[in-house]
Amino acid sequence: MFVQLQGAWSPLFGRLTLDSIPYSNPIIIFAFAFSVIAGLAVVIPVLYYGKVGYIFREWICSVDHKKIGVMYIILGLVMLFRGFVDGMMIRTQQVMADGPHSPGFLEAQHGYIPPSHFDQIYSSHGTLMILFAATPILTGLGNVIVPLQIGARDMAFPRMNAISLWLTVMGAMLVMASLFIGDFSDAGWVGLTPLTELPYSPSVGVDYWMWAIQISSIGTTLNAINIITTIIGMRAPGMRWDRLPIFTWTTLSTSIIGLTAFPILGVALALLGADRYLGTHFYTAGLGGNLMLYTDLFWIWGHPEVYFLVLPAFGILSEVIPTFSEKPLFGYITMVAATFAIAGISWSVWLHHFFTMGAGPMVNTFFSVATMLVGIPTGVKVFNWILTMYRGRITYTTPMLWSVGALLLLLIGGLTGVMLANPAINYTVHNSVFVIAHFHCMVLLIAFTIFAAIIYWFPKVFGFTLDEHNGKMFFWTFCIATTVVFTAMFTLGFEGETRRLDYLYDPDWMPMLIVEEIGIGFYCLSVFYFFRMLYVSIRDREKNRCGADPWGTARTLEWLTHSPVPFYNFAVTPQVHELDELAWRRANNCEALMPETYDPIHMPKNSMVPIIIGVFAFGFGFGMVWRIWWMAGFSLLAIIATVIISSFTPDPGYTITAEEMRRLEERKEPPGIVADSHIPRPMAEERIV
Amino acid sequence: MLRKHAAWLAAALPVAGCGTEYRLFHPAGPVANSELHFTVLNTAVMLVIIIPTTILTMVFALRYRKSRQAAYDPSFSHSLVLELLMWGVPLVITVILTFCTYASVFAVNPADPTSLDNQADPGAVAPPLNVDVITTDWQWIFIYPDQHIATIDDLVVPAGRTVRLRLSSATVTNDFYIPQVAPMIDVMPGMVTHDAFRVNRAGAYEGFSADFSGAGFSWMQFSTRIFSPADFSAWVAKTQAAPDHLDYARFLQIAQPTINETAAPHYFSNVGPNLFADVDMAVMDGKVFPVPADLDAKGPYPTPTLGKQDEVKSGT
Repeated sequence: MFVQLQGAWSPLFGRLTLDSIPYSNPIIIFAFAFSVIAGLAVVIPVLYYGKVGYIFREWICSVDHKKIGVMYIILGLVMLFRGFVDGMMIRTQQVMADGPHSPGFLEAQHGYIPPSHFDQIYSSHGTLMILFAATPILTGLGNVIVPLQIGARDMAFPRMNAISLWLTVMGAMLVMASLFIGDFSDAGWVGLTPLTELPYSPSVGVDYWMWAIQISSIGTTLNAINIITTIIGMRAPGMRWDRLPIFTWTTLSTSIIGLTAFPILGVALALLGADRYLGTHFYTAGLGGNLMLYTDLFWIWGHPEVYFLVLPAFGILSEVIPTFSEKPLFGYITMVAATFAIAGISWSVWLHHFFTMGAGPMVNTFFSVATMLVGIPTGVKVFNWILTMYRGRITYTTPMLWSVGALLLLLIGGLTGVMLANPAINYTVHNSVFVIAHFHCMVLLIAFTIFAAIIYWFPKVFGFTLDEHNGKMFFWTFCIATTVVFTAMFTLGFEGETRRLDYLYDPDWMPMLIVEEIGIGFYCLSVFYFFRMLYVSIRDREKNRCGADPWGTARTLEWLTHSPVPFYNFAVTPQVHELDELAWRRANNCEALMPETYDPIHMPKNSMVPIIIGVFAFGFGFGMVWRIWWMAGFSLLAIIATVIISSFTPDPGYTITAEEMRRLEERKEPPGIVADSHIPRPMAEERIV
Repeated sequence: MLRKHAAWLAAALPVAGCGTEYRLFHPAGPVANSELHFTVLNTAVMLVIIIPTTILTMVFALRYRKSRQAAYDPSFSHSLVLELLMWGVPLVITVILTFCTYASVFAVNPADPTSLDNQADPGAVAPPLNVDVITTDWQWIFIYPDQHIATIDDLVVPAGRTVRLRLSSATVTNDFYIPQVAPMIDVMPGMVTHDAFRVNRAGAYEGFSADFSGAGFSWMQFSTRIFSPADFSAWVAKTQAAPDHLDYARFLQIAQPTINETAAPHYFSNVGPNLFADVDMAVMDGKVFPVPADLDAKGPYPTPTLGKQDEVKSGT
């Protein structure tokens, strides 16, 4: 052992003892019971209907980009829910713990959560929302939509795509495991050094945080490689760069950011790991270490990560607004230019996350101006969307409502963002809840577009539309909640409330804290309507079956194929004639043409390799967290062995013959993503040469 | 500079109308004043573009609903003039904001704020008071190197004199913040940051740590008391008679992890001459004050002991 650990260690169980399970904490017992019930609610029907084999073969082992995308989104939504519960607990604790006379319940002196537990809750709230909710959902949307938008059959590397998914899932599983075995990091989602160093965070919490992010970020990096390759190499004939849909453009720019930024995070965390496991001094205060090194590395990833999330959100707006304005997007070229301008500038603004760390006025000015420059292309985008609506014929379907809401949030987020970009203002509100309110405006803008995208593309993937009435109730309750909570939070920022407080010393904050709590009530209501929307839609799915284009005014290539999209995407590779291909075909009355001849299609085979790698990645992470060296070592060797063995196993995929294609296409309902039956496979094998 | 901005004052009026719980709208002293000034100025410039854009969004979103049968022109998707304008107008706003930023970073630069240099203010020429600030887990130690005294969680300074702070941490990063008086500056181990402020009238303000530092973070408040010069001298004299002395060995005792829940103050006399530098050097040589795992996991918290002088918890 290179480092001094507090507590026991044994070769067999590492740091794990029975005391690591917090069975005495009623909140965690409740969370555990809830998770078990929710888990059983999924598992029991699967067992009852005998679908274990189906789920395993057709989903868990799937390499189909749509199924992988859907699983990414489901993971993201589950984590979004948990992150929401965390947020709800944070707000409730603060409203209960304001002022020296506030009462204490359970083990807490004030409120109902003692500080070390509260610190874990806000840390997991941030980690989950950014890395395990927003990131997987947007990655999932890219996975589902991008190959369809460019007329490809699948991603460039289908199996690697599944590996990305399972690494991300296992990262999320590590965070979930930390809830019931041991504890999570209490040093914030950003991992404040040197607080994350062993002397100041002696338990396994930081290790959980570190390995969860490390494992999932490898998945994100692999996914970025996949998306870039797919977009560059697999566009349908005629899909020139100037005909690429905006969502694909933004996913491309985002993936470039992902490919270049996530390795920096990996390095930052690996050096932290060296400090915690090997006793090095990269980020310690003493012996040559410097916490600024981590802060710089983290935010050199962290700020591009913000744009990694927000650019696809902008892409979604650029798809939804033209569809429901019945007009092409205004200023296609400026939109693409603005996208890449934002992606480029995102690399030169990271220092604005720590203006208060004492850099000189000139350094701060440079980063301040760089930050404000982001406002220019963002402004261009806003004007583009506004002018798309100008002289349009707007229908307020649910996705359009979310989009207009997102636009207004972007304006508030932009205003406060430029305020924060000025170091002088930043000094007064840097660590206050004003900043929290600002970046929640931005991430909620992403959430708004995510909901727009899910409702917009849901019928494409599943073949039936979501219920509009409950969808609109979901939107309005969510909208009211956002307005109430974050208006109050901006106000609290001006009242001097700072972030991450378990106990609030100032009773003056009470009125606004109560307002925030009322807003939380609306959020709870919106969660209810979300589930009701899903329930009603699935119940009435037969009534809401839809054709290729359920909205009637969609414009891009993905709406050309069937809904639900068959596993082979397009019966024949589409020929692209114009930007907004479907709008062009509709104008020329050729959107419903059936192909005359079919070609054989070569498809990838499902594989168990990704899930095996995923499970061993979890084993590696868990072993490292608890310092169970045999488990970590064995899992790592198993991953390497799996990769080597699968690399030497020929996997030629399978081919669907032209005749089989004709038979599939002439059936009334093509086998889609929800279809139970699957064509027998492989139809015919051929080796790739 | 402040006097030139009559328009700013007009804009600031509604802000000043807010209750005293709006700490940032009731600044005390030149640094905090110019913070508010630049906040209002910057926001006003931004609103020049944000308000029309918001109105435009709302108007277009409502006016071009399908049901209203307004003009419909699906071919309108490009306009060179408009596209040049939409790059140009934000650029102009950004240039204006850049000038504001450039002026403001020097005015409120924590290391040496020029807003303190207004020669019309007698405080600008009075000799400054030096205070060294050290944070531990989880208390504030204020050392007055010239007066050879120190306090825990109680910053007492004279009115009308610039206070120059050197800040460093014995453990992890904190953030020094007195909302109405001194904007945030990070307090980091192994590094020294600087801050300066001045308040011209006696008063009392609450300060606290703004950057998360562990389990006791929520209780890291300190009182900031601005005394008249005479009262300050009397206070210094009284504190110089405090029975507890502070040298490096004593510092090692009080720096053990402690949650001072009531921010109870404590006073020291005969403070060692190089204590700040000694602590900083020790941190750079690898001195750490480990947090016990049971505290990190689920409490219980050590009871505050420094309010009473006789017992000092030495940590676990």
